[in-house]
Amino acid sequence: MTSPKTLDSRDSILAAFETFRGELDDHNDRRERLIKSSRDITNLSKKLIFLLHRTLTEDATESDDRVLGQRAATRAKGKLKEIQSLFSAIRDELVGDRFWRYQRNVSPGLQEYIEALSFAHYLEHRSLISYDQVQATLCDADGNAFFPLPLEDYLLGLADLTGELMRFAIAAIPRRGGRQKASEVCSFVRSCKADFEGLTPYFKELRKKQSVTTQSLAKIEDATYAVVVRTSEYDLPPELLDDLVAQTLSRAADHSNFGEEIRRKRTRDADYDMEED
Amino acid sequence: MDVENLEKINGLLDADVDIREKIKDQVTEFDKRTRSLSGTLNRIHSTRSDQMAALLDTARPIFESCRETTTALAAIIPPNQFWKWKDMWVNSLRNVVFSATLVEYLHRGTLLSLQQVSETLGIKPEWQDRFTLSVEDYLHGVISLVNELSRLAVNSVTLGDFEQPIKISLFVKDVFAGFSMLNLKNDLLRRRYDSLKYDIKKIEEVVYDVSLRKLAPSAKEQPT
Repeated sequence: MTSPKTLDSRDSILAAFETFRGELDDHNDRRERLIKSSRDITNLSKKLIFLLHRTLTEDATESDDRVLGQRAATRAKGKLKEIQSLFSAIRDELVGDRFWRYQRNVSPGLQEYIEALSFAHYLEHRSLISYDQVQATLCDADGNAFFPLPLEDYLLGLADLTGELMRFAIAAIPRRGGRQKASEVCSFVRSCKADFEGLTPYFKELRKKQSVTTQSLAKIEDATYAVVVRTSEYDLPPELLDDLVAQTLSRAADHSNFGEEIRRKRTRDADYDMEED
Repeated sequence: MDVENLEKINGLLDADVDIREKIKDQVTEFDKRTRSLSGTLNRIHSTRSDQMAALLDTARPIFESCRETTTALAAIIPPNQFWKWKDMWVNSLRNVVFSATLVEYLHRGTLLSLQQVSETLGIKPEWQDRFTLSVEDYLHGVISLVNELSRLAVNSVTLGDFEQPIKISLFVKDVFAGFSMLNLKNDLLRRRYDSLKYDIKKIEEVVYDVSLRKLAPSAKEQPT
């Protein structure tokens, strides 16, 4: 290799900067492509999370949360594959030393994906998906990783999972068997928080998310407390109370079919029927 | 989280923490060296041109010592992780790029290329994915060079060197023309590039002063 020459003329300087332009353009173009891919991944992941929530709450007749969880996880599989193929599509842009240059740009999508993935995993297995398991979903058919999974993205994706679980728990409480489910979720989230606590000194973002997790926990705890206190006023076993609530709800649903008639009747009768329940 | 997973996570974390600490030690040393370089070179503003070579000679050994740092860092960083860790030494590196290009300008009046700066710092091409001089870091160093030369233009006139500002003016205009070819994003590089025009303006004012008063030898030679 010949010794590099000093840039001793205007032309040589311009030539050098022309190669710089090429390199910087190449870098910036790649960055833009990856930002777009990250947004697409985020979009699909968010939709998947909504789908999971819907599957868990749409069926009023199904009270076995195991069944609902399995159903949700099964529906998720196809969508997860779709997202994984997006990661596969960008693997060439992230080859070698490139990954860490653009990690910041793919991080948002990656974390959203991990949130969705770990939510589906929890619904199926009632456990926290491991680092190795997440990395395994980001590999090709031969087991070669698309890129190395950063520890930070794994942890931050999981930290967002606790927020989703809170939503799941709160939505579950008014349904049959909901309090049991909520308290299961509560102890799971509590153990997640405990696991992350030791890692917070190393990841600033994690510290912030931990405080959000604490708030989520408090919400679930307050909701389950309120239900317990209220049900304790009635001297009935919890399953019978659930039945009472379910009956009231279904009566209201039936009556709404008669719509306007009922409404008009109520208005007329309101003046006379104040004593009745 | 099961025990196995927790162990895996702590293992990854410990490895990273270990690397970070090793890099930090090297960067502290590196920083000392680069600062001593720029400290030495600060004296150019009070050094007459006939004594400049001697001053530059005191700087050269420090570049040699920087090679120890770059070699050490290349050994610490795992393959393909250059971009993961580079922010830890970026300021010291840009500083030494500035110093290297400044010495070259004062010595020969030319711009040291990126490859030449890498050579000066002992950065080997095979370290590419672990430790390298990126285009951006080189460019930041060169901008600092222009900032410094605008100051030197003023001070060299004070010391009685009336040729220097004219040479600087021609050089800086070429460098600026190079920068103008780049498609820059709205980042720090773009902002610093924008500020180059103030350096050029300052240099032009010195050239104007020197030419008008026929202080420069080339100006003196003009027939009235």
